[in-house]
Formats: sequence, structure tokens, C-alpha cells
Amino acid sequence: MATPIIMPRQGQSVESCILTEWKVKVGDEIAEGDVLAVIETDKASFDLESTAAGTVLELFWEADDDVPVLANVAAVGEEGEDASEFRPADADSAPASPEPTLSPGSEPTAPVQQESATAQAQTEPAPSSSPSVSSAGVSPRARKLARDKGIDPETLVGSGPGGRVIERDVEAFIAGRPRLSASAHSKAMDGLEPPKRGSGLAGMALAGDMRVPGAIEGAETEPVKGIRKVIAERMMQSLQSTAQLTLHSSFELTNAQAYRKQRLADGKSKVSLNDLIAHAIIEALKAHPEMNAHFLGDRIAVFEKVHLGVAVDTPRGLLVPVVRDSSDLSIEALSVAIKKLAVDCREGTISPDDLAGGSFTLTNLGMLGVETFTPVLNAPEIAILGVGGIVLKPKRSDSGEVTYADYLPLSLTIDHQAIDGAPAARFLQTLVFHLENNPGEPLSQPNE
Amino acid sequence: MKYDFAVIGAGPAGYVAAKKAAASGLKTLLVEKSKLGGVCLNEGCVPSKTLLQAAKTYHHAKHGSVFGVEVEGLSFDFPKAHAHKNQVMDKMRNGIAGLMKKHKVDVVEGEATLLPGLEISINGETHEADNVLLCTGSSPAMPPIPGIDSEQVVDSTGILNRETLPDHLIIVGGGVIGCEFACMYASVGVPVTVLEAMPEICPNLDADVAKTLREELAKKGVNFKLDTKVESIDEKSVSFANAEGSDSLDGDLVLVATGRAPNVKGLGLEELGLDFDPRGGVRVDDRGATNVPGLWAAGDVTGQAWLAHAASRMAEVVVHNLTGRPDRMRFDKMPAVVYTSPEVAVVGLTKEEAEARGLKVKTGRIPMAINARYLAENPDESGLCKVVLEAETSRLLGVHMVGGACSEMIFGATAMLETELREEEIEEIVFPHPTTSEIMKDVFMAVR
Repeated sequence: MATPIIMPRQGQSVESCILTEWKVKVGDEIAEGDVLAVIETDKASFDLESTAAGTVLELFWEADDDVPVLANVAAVGEEGEDASEFRPADADSAPASPEPTLSPGSEPTAPVQQESATAQAQTEPAPSSSPSVSSAGVSPRARKLARDKGIDPETLVGSGPGGRVIERDVEAFIAGRPRLSASAHSKAMDGLEPPKRGSGLAGMALAGDMRVPGAIEGAETEPVKGIRKVIAERMMQSLQSTAQLTLHSSFELTNAQAYRKQRLADGKSKVSLNDLIAHAIIEALKAHPEMNAHFLGDRIAVFEKVHLGVAVDTPRGLLVPVVRDSSDLSIEALSVAIKKLAVDCREGTISPDDLAGGSFTLTNLGMLGVETFTPVLNAPEIAILGVGGIVLKPKRSDSGEVTYADYLPLSLTIDHQAIDGAPAARFLQTLVFHLENNPGEPLSQPNE
Repeated sequence: MKYDFAVIGAGPAGYVAAKKAAASGLKTLLVEKSKLGGVCLNEGCVPSKTLLQAAKTYHHAKHGSVFGVEVEGLSFDFPKAHAHKNQVMDKMRNGIAGLMKKHKVDVVEGEATLLPGLEISINGETHEADNVLLCTGSSPAMPPIPGIDSEQVVDSTGILNRETLPDHLIIVGGGVIGCEFACMYASVGVPVTVLEAMPEICPNLDADVAKTLREELAKKGVNFKLDTKVESIDEKSVSFANAEGSDSLDGDLVLVATGRAPNVKGLGLEELGLDFDPRGGVRVDDRGATNVPGLWAAGDVTGQAWLAHAASRMAEVVVHNLTGRPDRMRFDKMPAVVYTSPEVAVVGLTKEEAEARGLKVKTGRIPMAINARYLAENPDESGLCKVVLEAETSRLLGVHMVGGACSEMIFGATAMLETELREEEIEEIVFPHPTTSEIMKDVFMAVR
């Protein structure tokens, strides 16, 4: 019996997901747990796994559709079964087969790109499609353009569903597309495009010349999608909507390292330098609550508690999970929470709910050999602290003697729309003082 | 005199370039210090193939019994074979001279020196050219073996001028040149020993093809010593060492065929700031352009391919680019032949080369003896045909043959590679019956 696959709810805050890319096509045999598609929220991208095994009967949405959570996405069952009962009412864009555009006089309303998107799902004709259509044919728009240009469209190589000649094929022919080798031709059927001139015989395009649409000579191009697209949009929005100013400082590591050592000597759990800095931020924000805020254009929201975001480098890109209510946590609990979120991010199991709602962000590139850098605000947050790598610096003791000590650089980027340089510098001063004098302890001495 | 295009060296790169350029309307100069036709016509391909045919004819006469051809009083007149060889060379040289005259190429005999600004000095006269093609070829490279200047030691040029048959020919180097001379002399009854430093002859060939060739030449009486290093040569013997220890063999003629080196000295190239590759060849891009604007190079002087047909093609690519037709070298589809009996003909990648490029491959291999025409004509000979295909697409990647006159059909495989045919397209090509070429179709039955 056919089984529908639904769009899962990715956390409480998510109402719909963009279906970025199908990983299967109609007719594919799949097992439970196979990846059907890549989906994304505004925070991250995820794999949509099948909850049933069998043949893919229908895919109800197209790539780039915004699919409501819990809606049917696809149907899986035995080959030849009818799955139309599962088609969601609002998913009318993906026809199950290319026939509709074959009927005379019915101009397809979908743009050309949509035809090609359908092509990916239709490389093998679905068993349910009408057997009377043996040839993929020519789309009406392609036929009209070809007639206008005096080209016989039947002689063209089709790149539409099942080799159907679509408008793009006629345009390519007019633009002087090179001859395609047999192997390049099969790549064209998969949606790749040849360069203006190929590297083969008299400019013939070879399989190795075929590129995804929009490719650039001498470069590998990949569409910006999924998590990369999310990051791109958020970074650009951050730089365009905030007035970023970065303040640099550093703190002497001596006491922080001694604190960490002492913990181990006392049989306590291990905390990292990053954990210590996270803890110090939370403590310093108690003295400077105005730094724990969102700038929302017409108002500034100062949060009661600190919800600390921690930037994590993952194989899929940068993620910023948030330790909710982190100001309620002991340093031990904070350390455990940060570790768990980082693991979830790297393994791709992080919930979108854990990727939102931060009030201040910590980012650390010190372990990668970076001395200092200017972090980009995680808007609408008004501050982000960047941690660099350890540097050896001379220091003068009270007696005037010069010795050397390890220092850790800190870079605080603020949104100058919300806060001025001096109060931000005072926050940084508190932070440095705390890390140098009472690391891992409650804030004892507001530095005002 | 001022020319559009000057060509230095009249071998298979130079005269092809001169003819093509002149035919395209460029005022062209061709400079040659010795004889038109270069190594190929005067010291390589053409004379060796003439003598190989003489040896093959003798061999057929001697072994015609299976066809009912019985010959009495058979003898081999080596000077007569040389006379035919010389006649062929004369005819071909006259042909080139006629071709140059017809296309109004100015041919100048003399040694050219390149001066800055693309000026060429020949016999005290200076000429100018907008573009200069350097195709000065290569010379046999003599390895630093003690006694290599002994009187009975010859290189591939020297052996072609010997009109007497030796009592025992020792060949240092089991590459293409060594194997061809081994076949020639063994076919007319001269005892031949080949000393090869590598574990197999012709190490660039597919291993099965090389092994079959070695076994067939051994049947003709060639004695191979593999993994064997020559230590020294004296007036009558060659000393060598291998896993069995040190030994020496008496031989009244020693051919050293261990490779060739580009001719780059005495041309003024260093003063021009010309770039060379680490092996001493003139470095060119895939159009044949050197790092000196207006200076191009083709053929053996680039240290690539070492094949006459590759040189001609490189020259053609240069002229195409000079005359406004974009073109580039595709060395990976360059056929190569060993003109032994049986012949070896290969094009494209071996299984190992394809896998080194990260391609997943499948191969097919069949003996030539399944082919009716081959069996009828070569009753006592073994041969094979092997294809390498890309596993996923069944795109043809390489064809490797040994047997009969397979050099005459390798162009078919080259055409298939150049157009990137896949198994399904090749299946539909009709091969005339009965021809040995059918082997290239039947081999696909063995693909797995």
C-alpha cells in the first residue's frame, strides 16, 4: 500500500521548510532511512529521510518550494500504485509526467526552469505515466521559437524531461552551441551545459567540458544553497543593517591556566579556555546588561538572562547553537551544554530551535592559529566576542621588572547603532579583569 | 627578409606547419640544417619501416609452408633492402620539396640561431618573422656507460646505415626502438639479445600487450634479459648485472636505444629566456606557445610524445592558433604504434592510468585468434585486443592491441575516443567482414 512521507516538524518555531534539492526521482527503489531530499529552515539545512521503503511513486513538490511542516512530500509504495490521494491540495506545481504540455494549444504556464526541475524527477518515465507517448516530443514554446527561426525542432537534442525539446534547447542551438560528443550528450540530458567551444575535435564539447548552468571556465561552480545560502544571507544582512565597530584587547592567561590546573588537581571536571571565557562573558554581562541586547531598529531589547551563542565550525558550514538561559548555569553545566551543542552541530542532529534565540555570541579562531580578527555581528545581537590565539607578551610588574606572560587576544564587535565605544570598552575591561583575576568564579568586582 | 612565419626544422612538425601556414596565406620560411623530413624520414620511421618490411617479407617467404608456399634457395640481400630504403627516402624528400615549392615556402639550408626580437640568423643572413616555430627535433640520448664510444656501438641513426648483418646484435634498451630493430634483425636470422633495465619491455604499454609482444619476439629468436643493467661495454662484449649476478655477452654490433633528448643547444634559446621543463624540453602550453611571445614549439623539442604524428599535430595546432582557429593538443587521445611483427597499436588510457585519474573502469580482453581473418593470415601468432571503459557510462577510455597489422586500424579507435563514443554507440557501428578490425567490436562481448 502506498505510504505518504511527510515534512517533519523541525523544532517548535518552524512552520515550513524550503525543499532545496530532491535526492531521489520517481521510480527509484528506496529503503527506510534513505535521504529523499535536502530541506532547509532559515537557520540550517537538513536531510529529509524516508520513513517507508519501496518505490518512489510521486514527488509532490519541486525544488525550491516552501513546504508546510506535516504536509505530504512524497509517496512510496509498490510500483504502479496510485498515490494521487496523498497529493496535498497546495502542491499542484509538480506534474507527475510531462504529458500535460503535449496537448495542443495548452501553453505551459511554468517557466522553463520548472520544466527542467521536473526533468530531474523524470529521467525514468514514471510507471503511472501514459504509455501512449513514446517520444518525448517538443514543447509548444520550443516549437514556436523554432518555427520563427526556421529550425526543425525535431532535429534538436532535447534536455527536457525524457529528452523533450524545450525552449532552452532551441535558444542554445541559435546561440551556436558546439556539437556534443556522445558522452557529452548524455550529460546534457542530465541538465549540464556545454561551453561555447568544447575541447574536442573542432571544438566538439566533451563530457569533461559539460558544466552545471552558470559555470565559469577554469573553476568548479556550485549553486549556493542550503546552509551556505543561510549563512550568506545572514552575514550580508548583518553587515548591511548594523554599524560594526571592533575593539581589541587581551588578557593575561596565567591565572586562567592556573585555575584549570587546580580544578584537575582537585578532581573536578575539565573546562576549556573557551568555557572559561564563555563563563566570564556571562559574568561580565551581569555588570553590563546593556551589552546583552538586540537592536531592532525602533527599539532595543535588553535580555534578562544571557542566551549565549557559540560559533561552531561544522563540515556543512558555520552554525551558532545557543545555550539558553546560560546565566543560570554553573561553569560545569555551561561546559557540558556547549560541548553537547557542538557535537549535535557537527553530527547534523541539532534542532533548529537550538540555533535561534541568542543574545550574545562567542566565536573562537585561536586554535586555528589566528591572532586577532574582527567578528561579524550575529544580528540583531549587538555584540560578539572573538577569541584569538595565545601570544607571548612582555609585562611590567609593580616593581617595574619586565617579564613575559601568555596573553589571549579578545576582539569585541559591537553595533554602534545600539551602544557606544566607551561602554563597550568598559564591558571589555570587566571581562579582562575577571579573566585575569577571578576566572571561573562569580563576578566579584565590577570594574566601574 | 621579413616573414609572417618562420619554421626552424623541417621534420614532421616543420614541413606540416610550413605547408599549412603558407596555404593559409602566411609568408613562410622553412630552415633545415640537414635534410628535409627530419629524423622521421631520414633516420627514423620511414627507413626503419622499409627495412622492417624487407625483414617481414623474408620471414613470410621462409615460413610460408603453412600456406603451401615452399621456397628453395632463399636468401636475404641486405644492401638491396637498403637501396629500396634509400629510394623511398629520396622519393619522400622530393615530395616534401615539391610541396614546399607548390605552396611558395622559402626553404633555406643552414643552421639557424634565434636572436632577440624574433630575428633568425642563418649563414650570416638575418631574417625577421612575426612568429617563429621551433621544431628542431631530438637526438638519441647516450647513457653514461663506460665504453659507450666503442666502435661497434651504434645508435638508431647509425644502425640504419649498416648494410651488413652482424653475428650477434645486442640491444641496450627494450623500448619501442629497441624492439623494432630486434624484430627486424631476428626476422632475417640474426641472433639478438635485448637488455632491459625494467621488469618488462616497453613499460609505457599495457602490461598484457607488452608481455605478448615480448613472447612473440622471443618466438622469432630474440633473447630478452629483463631487470638487467648494463655495466660496461668493450670492443667485443657487453657486461651486465641482474638478479643472477654479473655476466657478459659477445656481440659484434651493439645498438644503444635508451631514449632521445630534445635538440635545444646552439640555437640561442637560453639568451631568449625560454622556459624549459625539468626534462629539458621546451615548455609549451596546449596551443604550442612558449613563454616567449611569438615563439612556438612543436614535436620532440618539447620533450612530449616522441611521435612523428604527434609532432605534425602539434604543428597543426600552432598554425591553427596563428590563423584564428582555436585548437589545442589532446595528448590523451594520441595513438602509438610499435612496428614489430606482430604490431602493437594503442590509444587512450590503460586501466592503471584511468584508475590513477580516479576513474572507475571496466575492461574487456579477447585473443586475436577468435577473429577469422586474423587466424587465416597469422596462424602461428598470438595477439590480443583490450578495451578500457568508464564503468558507469561505458565511455571508451582506451584500446590496446597487439597482433597482425593492427596499426592500420587504431585510427578507428582514436575516432571513437575523440568523439567519446560509449559501448552502446560502438555496438551500432558496422565493421566489414571478414576483417581483423572486427576484433574492436567483438572485444565488447568480453567486457566485465
